[in-house]
Amino acid sequence: MIELLKQLCILDGTSGDEGAVREFVISQIKDHCEYKIDNLGNIIAFKKGKKEPSKKVLIDAHLDEVGLIITHIEESGFLRFKTVGGIDTAALMFRRVLVNGKTLGVIGGKPVHLCEGDERKKLPDADNLYIDIGVSSADEAKALVSVGDCAVMCSDFISCGDKVLTKALDDRVGCLVLIDLLKQDAEYDFYASFSTQEEVGLRGAKVAAFAVEPDAAIVIDGTTAADVAGVAAAKQVCRQGEGAVVSFMDGATSYDREYYNAALNSGIKAQSKCAVAGGNNAGVIHLSRGGVRTVALSVPCRYIHTANSVCDMRDVIAVRDLSKHMIEQIASGKL
Amino acid sequence: MNIKETLFKLSNAVSIGNITDASVIAADKLSKYAKTTQDGITVVGEMQGEGKYTLMLEAHIDEVGFVVTDIDDKGFLTVKNCGGIDLRSLPARAVTVHGKEKVTGVFCATPPHLGGVTEYDDISALKIDTLLGEKAKEVISVGDFVTFNTKAADLCGSRITGKSLDNRAGVVCLLELAKRLSGKKLPFNIVFAFTDQEELGCRGAGTAAFCVSPDEAIVLDVSFADAPDVPSNDCGKLSGGAMIGMSPILDKAISKKLVSIAKENNMPYQTEVMGGRTGTNGDVISISKSGVKTGLVSIPLRNMHSDVEIIDINDIENVCDLLQKYILGGNA
Repeated sequence: MIELLKQLCILDGTSGDEGAVREFVISQIKDHCEYKIDNLGNIIAFKKGKKEPSKKVLIDAHLDEVGLIITHIEESGFLRFKTVGGIDTAALMFRRVLVNGKTLGVIGGKPVHLCEGDERKKLPDADNLYIDIGVSSADEAKALVSVGDCAVMCSDFISCGDKVLTKALDDRVGCLVLIDLLKQDAEYDFYASFSTQEEVGLRGAKVAAFAVEPDAAIVIDGTTAADVAGVAAAKQVCRQGEGAVVSFMDGATSYDREYYNAALNSGIKAQSKCAVAGGNNAGVIHLSRGGVRTVALSVPCRYIHTANSVCDMRDVIAVRDLSKHMIEQIASGKL
Repeated sequence: MNIKETLFKLSNAVSIGNITDASVIAADKLSKYAKTTQDGITVVGEMQGEGKYTLMLEAHIDEVGFVVTDIDDKGFLTVKNCGGIDLRSLPARAVTVHGKEKVTGVFCATPPHLGGVTEYDDISALKIDTLLGEKAKEVISVGDFVTFNTKAADLCGSRITGKSLDNRAGVVCLLELAKRLSGKKLPFNIVFAFTDQEELGCRGAGTAAFCVSPDEAIVLDVSFADAPDVPSNDCGKLSGGAMIGMSPILDKAISKKLVSIAKENNMPYQTEVMGGRTGTNGDVISISKSGVKTGLVSIPLRNMHSDVEIIDINDIENVCDLLQKYILGGNA
């Protein structure tokens, strides 16, 4: 699984620019299920199982990742940008970025030597940051980059024991889980959506859920694990190596309590998400049409929305196993 | 020797504290042209010329980084920075920890609502996650060094980006100069010195100058290049050629000579005028022993002390041309 995760994470797919990730996912699933691409670029897949389900189940992961979009090219050739999705300014300062998939640049800044007093302590306004691609004029820059092009932060893929360090774990871990489930034989029919535009407001999943019209949904995503030095136990949200993270409530959803309890008590390693924060595609899926019973299973990721997020493969496997279990429990009518 | 290729190697290598990889590369190159010795990070190469007069050409070869001050039971490190580093840029940055083996770590990035840092004034609040958990203590010890691990890469044209271009750009410039001087009749003795601990306060250059005992020195370093948020009176222009230093602590005749050579030969150059100390090794070399006439030439560089520093290879070539003329005069 780790090799497939690497292939997924190194692809660039800023929200609205998910083409490369979509093509790769299709190459992985095309021999294992039926699928179609909708108007927003979502992949909606149908997996034929051995049995007819008593409830129609949709399992969702999002294709997109946070990134940058070029908004302006200065006379001096520097590029101005906006963030696509939430990125902490600290994670942008002095980083290498790849613009439009081929032009290397760096986010430049004032050398620390020239910063005085509070300027050293406080993050700058993200609007003051700029990308330097090494040109000296707008004409040179425009030959390489256009306004509207996306950029992603460059990163490596490093594994160390069960840990993986790379970008875009949110939500390529979810894509990995869905691909893995689609490749296996299924007990019951189910639908899978690889959705777009999650990071800019859960937009792809909204239309995917409308189209699939499920009775129940399982949302697979990465969630913040703050189990690091200096963070009080009460604020750690969840912990790596402790299994799948099951949410009772986050910033967008109050989850189906029966599903929540079933997921926590399945015998597969799982933990509660101990914070009411963040949100994921469950926020729109559970409100689709007349309402959809929804459970969120997440992989605990440290340093999420940065070029160097960390996950633990044992947790990814727990989420995969628990997803399969929940599909079967719901589709069979036991839940 | 290819300047860019050598600079990429030097940038990717590490010289800090007890780690001397970049110095080994530099010593190997320099030994082809000069009688070279290496002591830890410091590399000194002598080229014999006419008479007893000695010019020292100096560039520091150490780099900014961190040193481990604590390792907790879950594998998180507390570090102290060695040299000025913008703490605000550290969260979620990958680094190499030079323990018993090289370990990739990442500075923790905790969102402010979960108790993450909002005031970047204390590096001890910024922990490094080693991914090793409780095994970290088997591999990493207090006192181990931590460095940026970005590999050098091309930007557009002749500009490149990487870590430690401050001051491997200066080192590679002097290596190229040594090659060009090699086999030439030199008007005086030349000693190349690649020094240690500049980033901790210009320490290595003081002891190196004491040992070399030069009559004259030219310090080669990097200085601030233009960027949107850098005040234009504080910087030179990237790709604008050698930045010739002028300051009360520098020898005026050397500064003047450098400017006149650049003018006469239509070399691109710019002046960098400072009101006193220069923040470079020139500050200590000039007051070594009974005093050393000292000049300063800088290569313009953006994003200093980050791992996305930017320089223009053409600026290195231009500085090398200038120093070659300075030494060989009409014979260059």
